[in-house]
Amino acid sequence: MAKTWLLIKTMVKMQLSTAGKSDLEKAGYGCLVLFAIPLGLLLLSILNSMIDTLYTSLAPTGNENVILGLLFVMMTFIFLFVSLSTVLSSFYFAEDVESFIPLPFQPYQIVMGKAAVPFLSLYGVNTLVLLPSLIIYGIHSASGPVYYIFSLVLWLVAPVVPFVLTAATIMFIMRFANIAKNKDRTKIIMGSLGFAFAIGVNILFRLDSGGTGGGMSEMVLEQNALLGLVTKFFPTAYFSSIALTSPTSIIGSLNFLAMIALSFAGILLFMTIGQQWYFKGVLGLSGGTRSTFKENDLKRRTEKRQVLWSLLLKEWKTIVRTPTFFTQILIQSLFFPVFILILLLLQSSGSLSTMASRINGWDDSTSLLVLFAFTIIGLGVNPASFSSISREGKSWFNNLYLPIPAPLIVTSKLLVSFFLNVLSLLIISIAILFLFEVSLSVWFIWFLASIVASWITSIIGFLLDFHQPKLNWTDEREVFKGRMIGFFALAAEALVFGLLLILLWAVPLFQSLTFASVFMVVYLTICVLLGQWYVGKVTKEKFSTIH
Amino acid sequence: MIEINRITKTFPGKTAVKDLSLTIPDGKIFGFLGPNGAGKSTTIKMMTGILPIDEGSITMNGKDISKEVLAAKQMIGYVPDRSDIFLRLKGIEYLNFIADVYDVPQEVRETKISELTKQFGIYEALDDHIQTYSHGMKQKIVVSGVLLHDPDIWILDEPLTGLDPKSSYMLKEMMRDHAAKGKIVFFSTHVLEVVEQLCDEVAIINQGHVQFQGNMKEMKQQFQEDQNLEQLFLELTQNG
Ligand SMILES: Nc1ncnc2c1ncn2[C@@H]1O[C@H](COP(=O)(O)OP(=O)(O)O)[C@@H](O)[C@H]1O
Ligand SMILES: [Mg+2]
Repeated sequence: MAKTWLLIKTMVKMQLSTAGKSDLEKAGYGCLVLFAIPLGLLLLSILNSMIDTLYTSLAPTGNENVILGLLFVMMTFIFLFVSLSTVLSSFYFAEDVESFIPLPFQPYQIVMGKAAVPFLSLYGVNTLVLLPSLIIYGIHSASGPVYYIFSLVLWLVAPVVPFVLTAATIMFIMRFANIAKNKDRTKIIMGSLGFAFAIGVNILFRLDSGGTGGGMSEMVLEQNALLGLVTKFFPTAYFSSIALTSPTSIIGSLNFLAMIALSFAGILLFMTIGQQWYFKGVLGLSGGTRSTFKENDLKRRTEKRQVLWSLLLKEWKTIVRTPTFFTQILIQSLFFPVFILILLLLQSSGSLSTMASRINGWDDSTSLLVLFAFTIIGLGVNPASFSSISREGKSWFNNLYLPIPAPLIVTSKLLVSFFLNVLSLLIISIAILFLFEVSLSVWFIWFLASIVASWITSIIGFLLDFHQPKLNWTDEREVFKGRMIGFFALAAEALVFGLLLILLWAVPLFQSLTFASVFMVVYLTICVLLGQWYVGKVTKEKFSTIH
Repeated sequence: MIEINRITKTFPGKTAVKDLSLTIPDGKIFGFLGPNGAGKSTTIKMMTGILPIDEGSITMNGKDISKEVLAAKQMIGYVPDRSDIFLRLKGIEYLNFIADVYDVPQEVRETKISELTKQFGIYEALDDHIQTYSHGMKQKIVVSGVLLHDPDIWILDEPLTGLDPKSSYMLKEMMRDHAAKGKIVFFSTHVLEVVEQLCDEVAIINQGHVQFQGNMKEMKQQFQEDQNLEQLFLELTQNG
């Protein structure tokens, strides 16, 4: 046990250390905390009003514990979703696995150490959502001290079973499925799985909520039946809810004990599975593919190309072939548009289509404004742009001795992130054209403005990365993890586009579509020219000094 | 001809190269010898445009590396000490990228790529990601890239480290051929033996200073007469 504890401490320290973070990043974290306070209060008031509404409508039929059920089920989903990627990266993709394997530790000890950070990170959202909700519920139900003691313990053990389930599933897949033989492919499949999971859950909930209306009234009459329905597939949520519904009764205590026992069993299961499967899955993971070169390919593959095109291909291949870049850049930037499209297609009477019909009633300049704002938020920050330089890592110096003009390299990087933005934009534009049914002229102006905005976004991300690139990484995830750059990019974009949107909104003259579009064109053109000029300037001054 | 004129490079808290001057004539294999940390790589990085030069200047066949940047770089073929090249590209893609950058004609590519990589025994691996290559294989693909565009000036940073005996022998032969054509071969090493086998001329660098420049015969003489060099000689032979 002492050894396990030592491992856990070491690994937590290694992963959470602030060494190597710049002052700018630390300041960024400070800003984030400041932002978090009002957001936390907002969250608290939302939770409060939600629980309040539900409680007053459910309490008359004695079904108020459905709130607890929903809460625990929701938390289970969140835990499953969050731990999916953290477990994968900590267990299988972190480079430090290899340095621990030769040391004289049992597999279960290493796996416990590896689990520490992903597990602890679940307590962030756990504390943010579950803890205040339980307290709010306690206040509403006027519960006694036992309720609060139970709540505290249940809060403590809530992440255990979901975490064990995810970890066990992943270890099983990695041990027995064939994908485990290739690290790169696994990273891509598993990385996409998280997004598929999010979309899948969403679809399920939507389909499900349509059908269950009928039997509802009967169930309301029967105590705990509604709770049973909600927690059908989640015994831990059921136990927890019953325990908190009547904490002082024997039934309540028994359920409480059952939950504790289940969590302990979960930990034991985790250790057993880790001991059996962990090493077998993690050993022999390797990157890249191997094949034999074919003679007759040579001609085709030595075709002469423009240097810019050659550079573009190199950038594109790096993104597609590096699993972390593939998921963090390609999938990430396509996720939102695809998600929106699916939602729109699935839902014919939901809130989004209400919005659509409302848009139809608006005048042209308002729809243009709303669509543009929606696009800016939707496209958000483009990870391809703020990883432009950092992606190169230790191979960056190659750009310095090769006789390629620096502006050409910069252009290739801007073009790649621009291209990815345009890809998302195309998907969104289809949705807007067919589902929102805006007028063609509005659509056209919107499309043009969004294309230009994409270029501006690319420039912003590029400049931020160029200013302080992270080249000294050993694992690609460091390009995105623990850097505040995404946040800064967002702030810069809010500034640039926020000003435009506010002006369009506030100045009466821009009620007219013509004036609004002319102003947009002028404003965006100025932004592009300024940005382009600045990119040229810093490239000339700083390009060869980046190391 | 390469002319290095009183260059200095300071890193935060450390002067790696101080007031260093060298003249490297055409048609010679020039060895740049020194123990680890002497400043060889730092000098070479300044010669290739990777590191900005703090003071002094470097010209390649009359072209200043910090002024006529592209023209100077175009003449150089550089083999770095680290093999951190574009790992996600396949061998063949890397070579074709290099060919595009240096504007190598289509016909030349095809014949040269297959010839060179067959010689180095990496032809079969051309369709694999460079990431999967061993250190030696990476070294070979970079050397193939340099030979592919056939520049006037070769600058090689510890090129023989990590190569197997056969490839090492081949590379040495290629270096001799290149110098015989009246071109420049400049390479660094920390092994005295290599210099003795290969070089026409040598410069010995220690702690950022050139301690000696001359031909092989002069070097041996100096080693016996000079107290300071004797100590250095021990380091260089023991490191081997
Ligand atoms: N990027 C750097 N930052 C700080 N010091 C450096 C850097 N690169 C090299 N040095 C220092 O400069 C000296 C010379 O290094 P280098 O030129 O790599 O030596 P070598 O002759 O082995 O190639 C060493 O003491 C090294 O520690
Ligand atoms: Mg060196």
